[in-house]
Amino acid sequence: MNSSADLVTRACQGDQEAFRLIFERYSRPVISFIYDQVSDRELADELTQETFVRAYRGLKSLRTETKLSTWLFGIAKNVARESLRARIRQNQHIDLDDKQVLDLSDQTPVPSSQLLDKELNEVVQRSLAMLDEDKRTVFTLKVFHQCSYEEIAEITGFSIPKLKTDLHRARAEMRQRVGQYVRT
Amino acid sequence: MKCDDCLNLLEAYVDGEATEREGESVRTHLMTCAACEEKFEALTAENEIYARYDREIQVSPAIWNGIAATINAEERQARRESKSNFGEWLSGLFAMPSLRFAMPAVAMVLIAVIIGLAYLRMRPQTPSSSSANLVAGALPKPDGNKSIGPPPPFVKKEDNSSGVIFVATNYKPKETRNLRPTDQSDVLPDTDGQSGDVEDRDTASHLEQAQNLLTSFRNIKYSDTDEEVDVSFEKSESRRLLSENVLLRREAEQTGKFPAKSMLGSLEPFLIDIANLPDKAKPADVRQITDRVQRTEIVAELRGY
Repeated sequence: MNSSADLVTRACQGDQEAFRLIFERYSRPVISFIYDQVSDRELADELTQETFVRAYRGLKSLRTETKLSTWLFGIAKNVARESLRARIRQNQHIDLDDKQVLDLSDQTPVPSSQLLDKELNEVVQRSLAMLDEDKRTVFTLKVFHQCSYEEIAEITGFSIPKLKTDLHRARAEMRQRVGQYVRT
Repeated sequence: MKCDDCLNLLEAYVDGEATEREGESVRTHLMTCAACEEKFEALTAENEIYARYDREIQVSPAIWNGIAATINAEERQARRESKSNFGEWLSGLFAMPSLRFAMPAVAMVLIAVIIGLAYLRMRPQTPSSSSANLVAGALPKPDGNKSIGPPPPFVKKEDNSSGVIFVATNYKPKETRNLRPTDQSDVLPDTDGQSGDVEDRDTASHLEQAQNLLTSFRNIKYSDTDEEVDVSFEKSESRRLLSENVLLRREAEQTGKFPAKSMLGSLEPFLIDIANLPDKAKPADVRQITDRVQRTEIVAELRGY
């Protein structure tokens, strides 16, 4: 009764509760995807809100054969991209040195495994931010969200050969930065 | 299969994108080639690292509240626009050259109607046998005929000294909400009418509902031994009111109704706190909110409106 298709149908008829259920179901992957693109928690919150508002406005245009998650990722990709463009226009370059880096020395002692996890999270996040936009988008969709090549092509509008190339190069760049942790 | 072919397919294989035939070829090659096997293991280990990546992100309830507020505002705006479009269509109809002649006649009819209504309202009421009857057919007639529909809250009756007086009936407005039993001293309607500052009926109605909600929340019965308290109704009500509150506060700010804005601003943190409770809340969390409700006297402040 609460399949994605049912929820979409009900939400199209103005049932806000159905749309809230859609939000609850998909907000976590969407906000994670957006956060991977913009590397800013508050901005990710704002852009997630914008993504779902746009989704609500455009629900009637959702084709039945399109997966809801794919469609939402497509909107999220556009919203994140517009935000990044706006930041570039405002000369607010995404400077890795400006990032809120975890100051581990200020933290209470944590077990070494947790320390490693925190450090690793930080390294992955920094490495993602250093990828160019197309590679980052393709990499996060494939590696973190397990989208198929076809779905990534639908979300990004890229051809499959292009996204395969981007994915291969993104992996290689990530490997250079994360590789030492693979060996440990 | 050569190593180059295997390496070209390796990522697709790890991603589950290789065809069945390609997958079979890769598997066969990996069993015989240590170098390619090493690459495969490195790729798998990388994927394990990425699987451990934790952004430590929580989906804040404020995101949904913002979405709901925006959607509601847009729908309200759309309704307003559709109404104004109808108005424009109507005025356009009269603006058509062929119908313009009707405008003076329409204006005269309107003026006549207004004067007529004003005269009827201002005409002195003279005591008569007919005015001794209850107005609006609200009460049962002597012959036992009953009027249709609910009785009004007040009926007009003849009084020997002054002619006409208003007498309260036992009419009670239909209850629309299934709130918990409340302390009636807190929810008595403000019979003095609307506060001068809160002219907007929506705001007044909203504040009254919020007052009822907070009183209901304050009166939830539970004991310290309870593991959880069912606040699902209050929570859903609070969510609804929260979206409304955000819109009304913005409107009040835009239209310069600062007392209303201030009142709505004071109310909002309580609505947010209740909206964010789980359906089955811990007694300590409920008590924390009820204590703040008591301490800040928000209910009394709302009643002041």
